[in-house]
Amino acid sequence: MRARLVELQASRARLVEATDAERRRIERDLHDGTQQRLVSIAMSLGLADAKLPAAGAEAKPIVAQTREELAAALAELRDLTQGIYPTILTERGLGAALDELCGRAAITAHLRLFLDGRLPAPVETAAYYVVSEALTNAAKHSRASAVRVAATCADGLLTVEIADDGVGGAGAGAGRGSGLRGLADRVDALGGRLTVSSPPGQGTTLRMELPCG
Amino acid sequence: MRVVVADDAVLLREGLARLLVEAGFEVAGLASDGSELLELVERARPDVAIVDIRMPPTHTDEGLQAAKQIRARWPRTGILVLSQHVHAGYALELLSAGTDGVGYLLKERVSDLAELAASVQRVGAGGSVLDPAVVSQLVSRRRQDDDPVTKLTGREREVLALMAEGRSNKAIAEQLFVSEYTVEKHVGNIFTTLRLPPSPDDHRRVLAVVAFLNAQ
Repeated sequence: MRARLVELQASRARLVEATDAERRRIERDLHDGTQQRLVSIAMSLGLADAKLPAAGAEAKPIVAQTREELAAALAELRDLTQGIYPTILTERGLGAALDELCGRAAITAHLRLFLDGRLPAPVETAAYYVVSEALTNAAKHSRASAVRVAATCADGLLTVEIADDGVGGAGAGAGRGSGLRGLADRVDALGGRLTVSSPPGQGTTLRMELPCG
Repeated sequence: MRVVVADDAVLLREGLARLLVEAGFEVAGLASDGSELLELVERARPDVAIVDIRMPPTHTDEGLQAAKQIRARWPRTGILVLSQHVHAGYALELLSAGTDGVGYLLKERVSDLAELAASVQRVGAGGSVLDPAVVSQLVSRRRQDDDPVTKLTGREREVLALMAEGRSNKAIAEQLFVSEYTVEKHVGNIFTTLRLPPSPDDHRRVLAVVAFLNAQ
C-alpha cells in the first residue's frame, strides 16, 4: 500500500513535469514560428508603407490601420506566450521572474526574496504560477491597496506567501477558485501544500510550502 | 553608417538587412548566433551591431551575452538589442555598464522604418534607446525610500514618467494641461535633483530616465 502511494506521488510529479515540458515546447513553437512570421510581415508592411508614393494616398490609411492591428496582435501574442511559459524563469530563475511579475502586476506588489541560487525547475514553475494567480486574483477581487509577496528557501523548504490587505472572503464567490484548485493540485503533486486564509474583512493570504531539494 | 545584423531566423535576418539598406545603412554582414556575431564584429568593425537577444545554442539570452562581450572588447561599437519580450531586467543589465551607444527595443518596432533608422543612428552616434514598453514597466515598479526619485515632487515624477515614454516637452505639456514653459521648468528640476551633468539635451533626457530606473 505504502509503495503504491509512493509510486502514485512520483507519477503525479512526472505529470507536472511533462505538462511544463509541453508548455515550454508550445512557447518555443510560437516564438520560432508565429511570432517570427508576424514580425516579418510587419517589416514587409513597414517597407511597403515607406515606399508608397504620394499618389497612393488612398492606400495610406489602410496600410496604417493594418500595421496598428498587426502591432496589437503581436502584443497579445507576447502576453499569451509569457503566460504559457515565462522564459525569464528558465533564463534567470525564480527571483528575477518574481521581480518582473511583481513589477508589472496590476496591483502594487512588495516583494521580499530570501532565495539562494536556483531551485529545481518544477519548484520554480509552481511558485511562479502561484504568485501569478494570486496577484491576478488580488487585483481582480480583493479591492486591496497592496500585496506583500515573500519567497523564502530554508532547510530544504520553499515557502511563498502572498498577502493582501483587501476584503477577504475568498472562496465564497463562484468560479473564483478554479485557477487555484489546479495550482493546489500541482503543488500537492510535488509533495507540497497550498493553503488559503481569507477571513471576511481581513485580507487574503496564500501560503505555499514546497520541498526544494 | 556600417551595421551588422545577428538573428537566427533567416526570415528576420534578411528582412532586417533589407530594411536597413532601404534606410540607407551599409550592411557589412549577417550572423546567426552569438559566436558568429563576435567573429563578424572583429572582422567588419561595424558602427552598430543589431542583435536578437534569443539565439542558438541555448535560445535564451545569447544576444545579451554577445552584446556584453562586444561592449567589453570593442567599446566604440554601438549595440541595439532586439527582444521579442519586455524584460526590463535585461535592459538594465545591458545599460548598467554604461548607456553610451546602447539600445533595447522590442523586435516589432523594426517594422517602422523611420523609427528603426532613428534608433540605429542614435546608438551609432553614442546615444541610447530604450523601448517605451520597457520603460513603462520599469517606471511602474515600486521604489525604495532612499531612491533619489522619491525626492522628486509628484508632478515632477509624472513628467519624468512621460519623458521615459519618449515624449517631447510639447507632448507632455498637452497631456498635463500645462504650458511648455512649465514642463521645461520641471525637466530642469528633475535634472538637478538627479544630479545629471549638462550634456546635449536628448541624451540627458535618456540619462534621467536611466538614473531613475537604475536607482531601484
